[in-house]
Amino acid sequence: MNSGAPDLLRGLSPQEVGQVLALGTRMQVPSGSEVFGLGSPAGSVYVIERGLIRLTLPMQVRGRDEDILVEERTAGQTVGWSALIPPYRFTLKATAPVETEVIALSRDALQAHFDANPGAAYSIALNLAAVIGQRLQLFQAMWLREMQRLVELRCV
Amino acid sequence: MEMFLMAICLSMLGFAVTAVAFGAATRSAETAPEEQPVQQPVVEIAPARFFADDATIPAMSMQARVPIEALLLQIDNHVRLEQAAAESFLAYPTAALLHGRTISTLVQ
Repeated sequence: MNSGAPDLLRGLSPQEVGQVLALGTRMQVPSGSEVFGLGSPAGSVYVIERGLIRLTLPMQVRGRDEDILVEERTAGQTVGWSALIPPYRFTLKATAPVETEVIALSRDALQAHFDANPGAAYSIALNLAAVIGQRLQLFQAMWLREMQRLVELRCV
Repeated sequence: MEMFLMAICLSMLGFAVTAVAFGAATRSAETAPEEQPVQQPVVEIAPARFFADDATIPAMSMQARVPIEALLLQIDNHVRLEQAAAESFLAYPTAALLHGRTISTLVQ
């Protein structure tokens, strides 16, 4: 993992980071395997320890359903925040294109920890908002770039 | 005298026929330019559409010839480039950075 704390645990003391990560289960994900599927119940968030996760959505390409890249996440980043936000269903598919190691933090374990440690819960909630907000801003910009191209194409 | 009157009548008739024929020829010559401008835009627009289609069809058929694996790689590459462009914009939000040109082969 990166030298710093994972993005979800930024702002916590090393001891607090250790406590949260100790709640999780370390998982080895073989190359090409799925971590979670689109629309499946989201019970855990995943902190990437090593490797790479591809987040995809299905798209029709020449009449075939293909998983199209939406985002790539690397070590130190978090995927699967749908596990902490109702309705607790994954809105993307996550696969590991290379051998990857993640720490799965279950919602139940995290909620119990949050109840006992409101300070840590507050920091993690802020970090989660930052992760979600960053994705929103990123996709706003990407969407507008596509709109600009569409307008230019239509006005030719 | 009768012969003289007949010659005058025939001359008048010939003059009248010539005048009518001249009038008809002059009217058709005047109306012809009025009709031409109506037809002219049609003639001008048709080649413009033709050239527009001509430019897009080869580009589309070229994409259709690309193997699907290569096309998927192009899409992957496009998404990465677009994310990088969006991240640059978020780091320093300006209209120029937001609409910076891409080198993605998918949209070239």
